Amino acid sequence: MNSAQIEIQLIASLVAVACAIPGTFLVLRKMAMISDAISHSILPGIVVGFFITHDLNSPLLIVLAALTGIITVVLVEYIQKTGLVKEDTAIGLVFPALFSIGVIMIAKNANDVHLDVDAVLLGELAFAPFDRLIIAGTDVGPKALWIIGMILIITLTLLIAFFKELKVSTFDKGLATSLGFSPAIIHYGLMSVSSVTTVGAFDAVGAILVVALMIAPAAAAYLLTKNLKKMLVLSVVFGIFSAVFGYWVAHWLDASIAGSITTVLGLLFLAVYLFAPNKGIIAVLYREKQQQAEVSLITFLLHLKNHSEVEERHVNHLREHINWQKVRAKKVLDLAQKNNMIHIENDVVSLTEKGETFTSKAIDYIITNEDAQIEDMKDDFFLFRG
Amino acid sequence: MDLKEYFSLVFNDYTLRTITLGTAILGAVTGMLGSFAVLRKQSLLGDAISHAALPGIAIAFLITGTKDTNILLLGALVSGLIGTFWIRGIVKKTHLKSDTALGLILSLFFGFGMLLLTFIQKQPNANQAGLDKYLFGQAATLVESDVWLMAIVTGLCVLVLLLFWKEFKILLFDADYTKTLGFNTKTIDILITSFIVLAIVLGLQTVGVVLMSAMLLAPAAAARQWTNSLAKMVFLAAIFGAFSGVFGTAISASQNNLSTGPVIVLVAAVFVVFSFIFSPSRGLLFKQIRFIKNRRDLELNKTLAFMHQIAETHEDISHPHTIKILNNFQGYTKGTLKKLVDKGFVQLQGNMWSLTKLGYTTAANLYNQQTDSNE
Repeated sequence: MNSAQIEIQLIASLVAVACAIPGTFLVLRKMAMISDAISHSILPGIVVGFFITHDLNSPLLIVLAALTGIITVVLVEYIQKTGLVKEDTAIGLVFPALFSIGVIMIAKNANDVHLDVDAVLLGELAFAPFDRLIIAGTDVGPKALWIIGMILIITLTLLIAFFKELKVSTFDKGLATSLGFSPAIIHYGLMSVSSVTTVGAFDAVGAILVVALMIAPAAAAYLLTKNLKKMLVLSVVFGIFSAVFGYWVAHWLDASIAGSITTVLGLLFLAVYLFAPNKGIIAVLYREKQQQAEVSLITFLLHLKNHSEVEERHVNHLREHINWQKVRAKKVLDLAQKNNMIHIENDVVSLTEKGETFTSKAIDYIITNEDAQIEDMKDDFFLFRG
Repeated sequence: MDLKEYFSLVFNDYTLRTITLGTAILGAVTGMLGSFAVLRKQSLLGDAISHAALPGIAIAFLITGTKDTNILLLGALVSGLIGTFWIRGIVKKTHLKSDTALGLILSLFFGFGMLLLTFIQKQPNANQAGLDKYLFGQAATLVESDVWLMAIVTGLCVLVLLLFWKEFKILLFDADYTKTLGFNTKTIDILITSFIVLAIVLGLQTVGVVLMSAMLLAPAAAARQWTNSLAKMVFLAAIFGAFSGVFGTAISASQNNLSTGPVIVLVAAVFVVFSFIFSPSRGLLFKQIRFIKNRRDLELNKTLAFMHQIAETHEDISHPHTIKILNNFQGYTKGTLKKLVDKGFVQLQGNMWSLTKLGYTTAANLYNQQTDSNE
């Protein structure tokens, strides 16, 4: 590993951390798409800043671009408030318009501007180490590293200072207001941090990767935990992991670093989405199947309890009566037998003592809907564990 | 080339005619389908789908090695559909909200697409140049067969809309009721979503991945302001979309260095702003005017009610009073007094005013809504 490679990975990791923190709150506040809107609509701000300074790394660019980001948020909220369209439509209208203005401004001045829309959207991390920050003649490292480092420090300071406020206003706006925190200030504070992070990160990694780095680690972490602090830590870890791993994939494929980091993020999310212990697809599908079987079992037991006649309880009759297919009927029958709820004599099913008490309890629960009735049943049954 | 020249050329010049027709048809079909996306609160779905289509284009190219538009669009369609159904899966099966799901699929698919594109660029295959035109679109690359494809898809889309109009409409406004009526909501839903994906994919070549969502939303959002009827909205959105396409092409053709996609989007945005402000029933301008008018009426009525209170204390209702006593009253201005005189509610004699018979009864019934004094 040479020093440029280390620097690239360092920049990518810092960007990942700086994005994961506001990203977590955006995901929790259901405002994930705002990050997409901001990442596109900062383009005119960057272009105007570039016309003024003719330097892609000037701080004015960051200020102007962050300002455009905030204007986007304000515009979206204004349009939404008029009640003419819904919030998502407002987002979808504002950012393409601003982005188009940016593209047209670049196109009209294409001759004297070294600014490429592709570069803004996609960034080029590989070139980041070549743009050095030189203070008093000494080389102190790549500029991008300093910019994103500063942003990260500001973000971290704000996060630690206002953690409580952020937490309260994210989960209970009403409570936050009644406790005297202004949700509006926190909202715009978060929006400003997101804008600044997006801007600071875009020229290293591009607008789209910013969105991916904000949303994907947070979403994956949200599937694994319900604790805010754990979620923050997890999304930071996911971010750093995909930044470093993504870099090596890009190195191996000789392709865009931003694209490969996003791809790693995608695979990571896919893995979490499939295998997360409680919220993952496999767990959810398994639970749904389990619940289905239990509901069938209870229906079956209730049917037995309601009918004392022999012909109603005949195995073959059950199949047509409850309208189950052969396989399913057999499965439920086996399940009930395994649990000692029923016994079968000459193909006639009847409830055992255990089945009797169980069914009465289940009826009680269905009628009264009181949790106390089923406390001791919870061990046997998945369904009642709520 | 100025605009006048452009319009004379549209009918003669092959390229210009193709592009104009193409963007017009595209605007119409996206406008129509966009109406459903907007009303179903799936406005940002278009954004996600258009980004999600990118890896499909790259993979289609990697497999076939050709740049045949139809094959690339087929790839885009497949990957757009995968993205859409993954979004639905995330929203349905986990506790992640739709905005997170949209942002996820959008950025992850797009990033993967970029990875593939940069990977393709490094391949020793001279054929690959120009794949990135799908990012921002290039209307200039439209040829007649593309326009034919668009026209066929649009025709198909109109046909399906007409056939399943009732189902689409009822699903749009009351999904639960639709289910209880025995319609297969899943199939209807998949049908309309697939058509939205199809329209988006068609537009990629012209306006590109990034701006496609605006093509879907803007005409529909503009049309929504003018009507409360779904049929009219779909029709209007198609017209707005088509006009955005034509005007956008005209403007970008008449200037140098102006790509068509962004201009079309901006023209559509102008339609939206115009509709937001000037629509008679929902527009901001008329809303403000109505607001001011209501406030004036209220002030007028307040003055009248105050006069009525004074007049009530006298036996003769038209007993004159000095204007001065009105001065301390909020709603009173010279203008309101003059209006009251014009309406025949009040008579003026020098510095004195008195209620007329009509004015007295109007004021007495002001809160019973039995008068038509608000007109």
